[in-house]
Amino acid sequence: MKQNTFYLMLGIVGLIEVGLFWLSVVLHNPLIITAGFIMGVGLLYVARMTITDIREDERAVLISQKAGSRTLEVFWVLFFAVSLGSAVIGFGTPLGLPRPRELPRDFPRDEPHLGYFGIFQMIMLCCIAFLYIGFRVYYARKYGEWDTDEE
Amino acid sequence: MKNRIKVFRAMHDLTQEALAQELKVTRQTILAIEKGKYDPSLELAFKIARFFGVSVEEVFIYD
Repeated sequence: MKQNTFYLMLGIVGLIEVGLFWLSVVLHNPLIITAGFIMGVGLLYVARMTITDIREDERAVLISQKAGSRTLEVFWVLFFAVSLGSAVIGFGTPLGLPRPRELPRDFPRDEPHLGYFGIFQMIMLCCIAFLYIGFRVYYARKYGEWDTDEE
Repeated sequence: MKNRIKVFRAMHDLTQEALAQELKVTRQTILAIEKGKYDPSLELAFKIARFFGVSVEEVFIYD
């Protein structure tokens, strides 16, 4: 598979995921987007392995590894800290999160709380993606990615 | 770690791109090694030395 074909596939899978998310919200079924996302990413991982027109040598691998490990170092601390905070809220009352006094009939129980936390997690993940890009740029510069020579 | 890749390249009249293709790495990797910004793996160091027909110590100088 060519690299451009992979990017095209990435875009299509992204659009399908957006559609599945919408469907999931409309049908009140989180399993649709959860399963769809795992399958979509799995498909992209498999497709990435079939790319033929990309030359990745040991220096490129080292840059990815260093950036990835640095991002993980920061990410797990942030994620754990936020999760600890959420656990405190969860254990703040004897039976977990307090429920609103009166709920409409079709109002999903406690789901909004989890949903908001999910949105917060996604924002954190987006920030982590930017952090990874930052580390990649740093290590790419360190290992001479954009250096020029007299040749 | 210093190296004499540039000297050996000049002796063999090779461009960075040509050497990179022979060693199956990118030109940027050869450039980074020459500039001392990246120390190659043992495997790549041996490949480079073998390609020029010399020992690793003749190409790479540990200081």
